[in-house]
Amino acid sequence: MTSTAGAAFGMVMVPRMVSAAEGVIDWYTSSDSNILDFWANTVKPAFEAANPGITINLVDAGDSAGVQAIGERAMAAMATGTDPQADFFEAGNAQLPIGAVDAGIYVNMREAGLSNIDKVNPLGFDSDYSLPYRGSQVLLAYDSTKLDPADVPTTWDELVTWIKANPGEFIYNRPDKGGSGGNFVRRAVHQANGLDPDAFTVENYSDEYAEETLSKAWEILADIAPHLYDGGAYASGNTQSIQLLAQGVVTMVPVWSDQILQAIDQGVLPETTGLVQLQDLALAGGFTRSIVLANGVNRDAALKLADFILTEEIQSAILTELGGFPGVSWDYIDPALKERFAAIVPETIPTFPSGQWEAAVNDGWYRNVAPNVTRD
Amino acid sequence: MSETAGPAATPLAVRAERRRPVGLLLVAAPVLLMAWLIIWPIISAIIRTMWRPDATGNVGFNLSSYAFFFSDQYSLNNLFITLWTTGVCAALLLLICLPIAIYLRFATGRLPTYVQALAIFPLFVPSIILAYAFIRVLGPNGMVDILLNSVGLPKIDTPYLSPWGPVIGLVWDNIPLTVLILLAGLGSVPTAAIEAARDVGARRMQVFWYIILPRIGNSILVALSFAVLGIFSAFTLPYILGPAAPEMMGPFMQRTFRDLYDPLNAMTQAVITFGFCIAFGLFYVRSVARNQGGGA
Repeated sequence: MTSTAGAAFGMVMVPRMVSAAEGVIDWYTSSDSNILDFWANTVKPAFEAANPGITINLVDAGDSAGVQAIGERAMAAMATGTDPQADFFEAGNAQLPIGAVDAGIYVNMREAGLSNIDKVNPLGFDSDYSLPYRGSQVLLAYDSTKLDPADVPTTWDELVTWIKANPGEFIYNRPDKGGSGGNFVRRAVHQANGLDPDAFTVENYSDEYAEETLSKAWEILADIAPHLYDGGAYASGNTQSIQLLAQGVVTMVPVWSDQILQAIDQGVLPETTGLVQLQDLALAGGFTRSIVLANGVNRDAALKLADFILTEEIQSAILTELGGFPGVSWDYIDPALKERFAAIVPETIPTFPSGQWEAAVNDGWYRNVAPNVTRD
Repeated sequence: MSETAGPAATPLAVRAERRRPVGLLLVAAPVLLMAWLIIWPIISAIIRTMWRPDATGNVGFNLSSYAFFFSDQYSLNNLFITLWTTGVCAALLLLICLPIAIYLRFATGRLPTYVQALAIFPLFVPSIILAYAFIRVLGPNGMVDILLNSVGLPKIDTPYLSPWGPVIGLVWDNIPLTVLILLAGLGSVPTAAIEAARDVGARRMQVFWYIILPRIGNSILVALSFAVLGIFSAFTLPYILGPAAPEMMGPFMQRTFRDLYDPLNAMTQAVITFGFCIAFGLFYVRSVARNQGGGA
């Protein structure tokens, strides 16, 4: 899930003049602030207590492009044999920056000798160079004082019918500014292409195939656009969608499961907020994968951290405090917890590949869906 | 001190001559920094977007990315909304700030102090905070809606996520600088001239038109070119308050560069943006040069 903070854009550009310190893990995230809070309040204190002498320096890289920029810096540092001043990416894509694995800047997690590596859910791996440690899915959140839970749409077609019958009551955010809107758009792509998530892989991207599959999705989304909030407005991030729901402006928005559970827990949203997942095919979600940098000064400490976040202590906290779901298989989770969170734990979560698809989906949406607005 | 003690005959011009290297050294640091961080990237961007390999791999003069920009309706719409926002903001700024500045220049007593503090206040509010405050106040079901609703009036048609959102935010953000520059310009309007005009029966509008306006034309130009330069490349406020499409050039460049991994088109957009900004910049440079040439 990518963060939306525009302010962070500038922060990434500020060069750090200090050299990395031994025993201080330089940690970067592209996630929203709820994940950063979780690390600051739960993971960091627990890890530092268990490993005296090692501390974690938590840095918000803004969004996935921000983390990628640090990855590029690490590649440049590798080439010159200098210190990348980065040890750990909380959320990263081992395929990016292109050529990173070949350049040898990422540690092979399967061969790194982590004691907990066998516990990881096999579904979560997409590369040997990143470690799936938590998952999240996109749900629909609604105001149950305005919409009776019995009438909540549970399929895509019902949702479209509901949106058209209740103009102005639904909004999703721009697909590149946050994963909740991004995965709503990707669900429309699935809808337009036979509900088959396997039809899209990183390898099968081609401009022609993308044009053929995505243009059908743009028709679906352009069709509902006039019935969205303000005749086709799009929130500028995950948080802004939740804000519109919280202010009672709209009745339903797509949301990240972890973010919405935390928002309800903190009272940002009332207890009357309902959650629903589409039953014909769930909205896309996926695992968040951590990366350890091979050329960082604190590589071994960072691997300790990677092992630590797979322990039962942290994996349970991901459920109880973060509202996400664990990266390890359910057999390694306390059965009582498993019972309690059965409702939000999906059997399978459809995913959508990144790589070149990401730019194709984002730019295609901006060019074909966003401008089809007749506002006054 | 030593100047007075030593031979007092050193002519002024000679002393200035002797100090010149020191003066040049003092400005060297900022000039070099500007050349390194601003001028060089601009030249580099211009070269890299115009001199690059074409489809067959031959490196040469190639304007295809510019041709794409100016033939692509989506990009042109983004450029147009940027020009529109900048123009509307400049007009509104002048309309709002000129009366405030004139009031501050001629009013007496304690009230103007408070008005000035209020006018300068936006200078101390980061734009990200301003953006969220805007949403809470003018956004849907925001404070204005709640107040209107409590007296039985209909809700406002909120500017949030429409092109007017960034306009309101940017105008508010630019008020302090504009007021300060206009106020400085008004300092050169002698009170005696106005009193004389009033004595011979000039009305308020006549005083403004014939006495004040001719003397602050330069300040207006400087204030507007400053505001326009900032607004043209604004990022945070259009990003948070504006519509998804059309986008202003700031968010458009950022998205092209970071989300679409397309540095070539991002640089092309930047060079085009720079082209417009330099036109406004020349206004500023020209008026400063004219000012100094006049010995003011």
